[in-house]
Amino acid sequence: MSATSTRRDVLRWAVAGGAVLLTGCGTQAAPGAAGGPPRRGGRLRAGIVGGSAKDSLDVHAPVTHPDEARVLQLYDSLLCYDTDFRIQPALAEEVTPSADAKTWTIRLRQGVEFHNGKAVTAEDVAFSLRRIVDPAKPQAGAVGLAAIDPAGIEIVDPRTLRLNLRTPDAVLADQLAQYNNGIVPIGYDPKKPIGTGPFAFGSFEPGQQSTFTRNPKYWRENEPYLDEIVIIDFPDDTARVNALLGGQVDVIDQLPLGQIEVVRANPALKVLDSETGAWTPFTMRVDQPPFDDPRVREAFRLIVDREQMVKQVLGGHGVVGNDLYARFDPAYAKDLPQRKQDIGRAKELLKQAGKENLTVELVTSAVAAGLVEAAQVFANQAKAAGVTVNVRKVDSGEFYGDNYLKWTFAQDFWFTRSYLPQTAQGSVPGAPYNETHWSDPKFVDLIAQARSTVDEKQRAELIKQAQRMEYDSGGYIVWGFANQVDAHSVRVNGLVPDRSGVPLTSYGFRRAWMSA
Amino acid sequence: MTAAVAPASLLRTAARTGRTRVGLVLVALVVLTALLGPLVAPHDPTDFVGVPFGRDSLFGADNLGRDVLSRFLHGGQLLLVLSIAATVVGVGVGTALGMVAGYRGGWRDELIMRIGDVVLAFPQVVLALLFVSIAGPKVWLLVTVVGLSHAPRVARIMRDATLMVVERDFVKAAEVTGTRRLRIMTGEILPNVTGPLMVELGLRLTYSIGLIAALSFLGLGLQPPTADWGLMINENRIALTVQPWAVVLPVVAIAVLTIGTNLVTDGLARASAGLGRGVER
Amino acid sequence: MVRLAVKRLVFGALILWAVSVVVFLATAALPGDTAQAILGREATPERLAALRLELHLDDPLVSQYFSWLGGLLTFDPGRSLVNGLPVAEFVGPRIVNSLVLMLTAAVVSTPLAMFLGTWSAVRRDRAADHVTAVVTLVLAALPEFVVGITLVIVFATGPLRLLPAVYVGTGQVTFVDLVLPALTLVLAVGPYIVRMMRATMIEVLESEYVQQARLKGLPERTVLLRHAVPNAVGPVAQVVALQLAWLAGGVVVVEFLFRYPGIGYALVDAVNNRDLPVVQALALLIAALYIVVNLLADLVSLVANPRVRTAIR
Repeated sequence: MSATSTRRDVLRWAVAGGAVLLTGCGTQAAPGAAGGPPRRGGRLRAGIVGGSAKDSLDVHAPVTHPDEARVLQLYDSLLCYDTDFRIQPALAEEVTPSADAKTWTIRLRQGVEFHNGKAVTAEDVAFSLRRIVDPAKPQAGAVGLAAIDPAGIEIVDPRTLRLNLRTPDAVLADQLAQYNNGIVPIGYDPKKPIGTGPFAFGSFEPGQQSTFTRNPKYWRENEPYLDEIVIIDFPDDTARVNALLGGQVDVIDQLPLGQIEVVRANPALKVLDSETGAWTPFTMRVDQPPFDDPRVREAFRLIVDREQMVKQVLGGHGVVGNDLYARFDPAYAKDLPQRKQDIGRAKELLKQAGKENLTVELVTSAVAAGLVEAAQVFANQAKAAGVTVNVRKVDSGEFYGDNYLKWTFAQDFWFTRSYLPQTAQGSVPGAPYNETHWSDPKFVDLIAQARSTVDEKQRAELIKQAQRMEYDSGGYIVWGFANQVDAHSVRVNGLVPDRSGVPLTSYGFRRAWMSA
Repeated sequence: MTAAVAPASLLRTAARTGRTRVGLVLVALVVLTALLGPLVAPHDPTDFVGVPFGRDSLFGADNLGRDVLSRFLHGGQLLLVLSIAATVVGVGVGTALGMVAGYRGGWRDELIMRIGDVVLAFPQVVLALLFVSIAGPKVWLLVTVVGLSHAPRVARIMRDATLMVVERDFVKAAEVTGTRRLRIMTGEILPNVTGPLMVELGLRLTYSIGLIAALSFLGLGLQPPTADWGLMINENRIALTVQPWAVVLPVVAIAVLTIGTNLVTDGLARASAGLGRGVER
Repeated sequence: MVRLAVKRLVFGALILWAVSVVVFLATAALPGDTAQAILGREATPERLAALRLELHLDDPLVSQYFSWLGGLLTFDPGRSLVNGLPVAEFVGPRIVNSLVLMLTAAVVSTPLAMFLGTWSAVRRDRAADHVTAVVTLVLAALPEFVVGITLVIVFATGPLRLLPAVYVGTGQVTFVDLVLPALTLVLAVGPYIVRMMRATMIEVLESEYVQQARLKGLPERTVLLRHAVPNAVGPVAQVVALQLAWLAGGVVVVEFLFRYPGIGYALVDAVNNRDLPVVQALALLIAALYIVVNLLADLVSLVANPRVRTAIR
């Protein structure tokens, strides 16, 4: 029971902790610390990477970055992450698992209203959760919430509901904190999007721009400060940077490497550099030659010069990885030795495996910053071990086409996640994005045990064992964690570094304000 | 316009003008850079010499910290080879079709020219965008798409040139003596259309260079980590204000090359017109 | 001439049909389908299946083509697969924007280039001619994206902040949004027209027809405007047409660079999204534009001077 209370304590304490923490997923510092007291009013124009005619406002189906940015203005989830990537209450003031992690009780915050003035009730939460896991049209969060049984959602009173899960899930809270699991009112229509978020819907032009107006009844104290947000799509890097340099937008996400120095040198602009847990691994299919031999996988991990990767691909804006993800998880295996380049050992392993002078094809695509670059650096490093890596760059349509999740040797990108939620996404059989086809029964067993273990210490122990397995023989090469580098005008205040990997303080425009 | 002229003598005539000479020098400059560059490059084009967009070496480093000078010196060969290949394909196919259309006439003429119209109705960039997206960026595909998009334009010119030749006595005479058609086309007509043919070669080469560089720029051409001028521009244009050399060097090289081929083509066109006039009048 | 125009129009329609078949097959052959493109990274088998059902992607190819063609013949090009908007409504404003851009570029570049070409021809082999020759050569040799980037640095992000660097807005274009993209296009197509105009004018100025006019003692101005220019317009019209047709493709790069909300930008996006109805509509439109422009050019050269043969292309 002590473990339950640990989690409970965290959540309860946060709610009881007073005014500062009522800003929940904010930083501990007061938002206006840098530039005097926050000023109300003004209009923020944000240039966001990507976007296209397929843009959407749907709370549960964001795909592009502008989609994410919009979702984060319009809606709230039950819980959320603060900038240190710790779970904090949002629409729920308390989320409590039972001792066997099979039943979760959610207590809603009092007095929160949707943009149309309707109060948020347990019925709305039930509707939203059912909408996400609907088997006829599963939404983006369906996989994470797989344990939720739509028939097992019990409404206790207008502010309380109980989830009777199909299978025990000790880390459900992580899922409830995902931004794509937002809460919407019964009868929600994505064409007339209504949520509880800091900004209400204004206008929407797919592939062009969308506007949002201040929600005066927002439940967080003082926020938001701005009157209006304009989110503008920018598929082209040069165009986005030019818009910032030319003063046509106030903030941009994903500042390209080549422009960091330009922005630093410009007194009217500021760089927002956040250390994150976001990772862009190489993915080796463990069920296909040559990677079905664990010696080849280890050799490939030893080929990588991680320092050089971070230097050349990220220009130093990142930290080296140790073939493990979830670096901010309390159970992260910090004690495993940092893997370093060892060409001699790699050659030896390849020789043992009978795979000397190996030639492989590495499929890459410009679907995230740094992927194509990392592929090229790896190809160069592999030469020393006698391995020929042919980089094959495909367009995003092909990358996500019929071969998606089936490429023998490719890449992917992930935002910051905790360990168990991440394995549910990509590292166990049946996970939707298991691109390495990793399915070691012992590993699967460990994960299943950990998921139903409410005791945090015991769970951490199980997680460490699982991490050891992935470190030794998994299908990922996690060479580093990229910083999220964004930029904004000096007039914009309140945006702070954030570990989530989602740009611009998780598109936290609610905390932003414009100086005069 | 229609006299039988050996290509060599045409070149010699053209080379008498200052413009053509300047053109030849410019082309030679770029071709030599492309051919000899790899031999003198200080680094391997895929090795890392510094931080991305660093400015430690002569022309600095590119988006991955590779030596710009070395990548520049390595980056011209493929562009040249592909442009020439695409030109040969395009002018070859276009000339063959144009001569058949002009000489045989009738339904063959209609068929060839109408299919040509369909191809022409696609802007080249759009055509390339579609087909490269289907098959992926492959070298043979680049050559084929660029070459075939030239073919109908070349065919039109060569058809007109052929039409002017077929009415002449020596063709008629050959027909009367029962010479095979293929023989007539290669032996009688072809030598008499070398003027426009040379001009087309020069013109299409200029366009091929521009188009292949533009496709690389759009990310549809040569693939990383290949050192290629068009690709270099694409990879480094974001940092144009910080590290201009990685963009300026390839842009200048492509510009000098196309200016050169333009001038030579100009000279050829003038020489061909002049020679033709000289014989006819 | 009317017969010729009708014949060309019929051929034009046939060409358009052939283009539609090619584009349809090409888009169908693109790796990955619309559902995969919409969901991207989030494409789980369950979500793909649900979306494919919603978009009717499982229908046979032939029936998809004919339902599209049938719609087109009744002037209904269908709905965009990715956002459900009617194609006409989605593409319409973008067509207008692109046409405005192309027309501005054409209206500015054509007379300007023809004037420069004539001037250069009249001043043949003098300093002005040489300068024009060098400048046009260099401009013609520079890729249009380089010209565009340079213009942005000079007029938008550098010390002179006179014009917007990129388009920001909801689809309506104002004059200031138009300046830099249009100028880029003018500098891309102008040089060819200048050079062609110069070459043709020199030929015309040497022709017997013009020599006779001069011998008649007409003032040089009259000779130039009444006799020489009209004779040069025919062949140059072909070049202008080719350049305008090039614009239809050239806008792709320029619109992307300036984020200009036109058909080129929409086409790249639609190909990426595998949005078949939109790709089809745009490709057909660009092809139609090309055919019409060429037809107009032929008519212009016929009207301008039937005697001048149209060998110069």
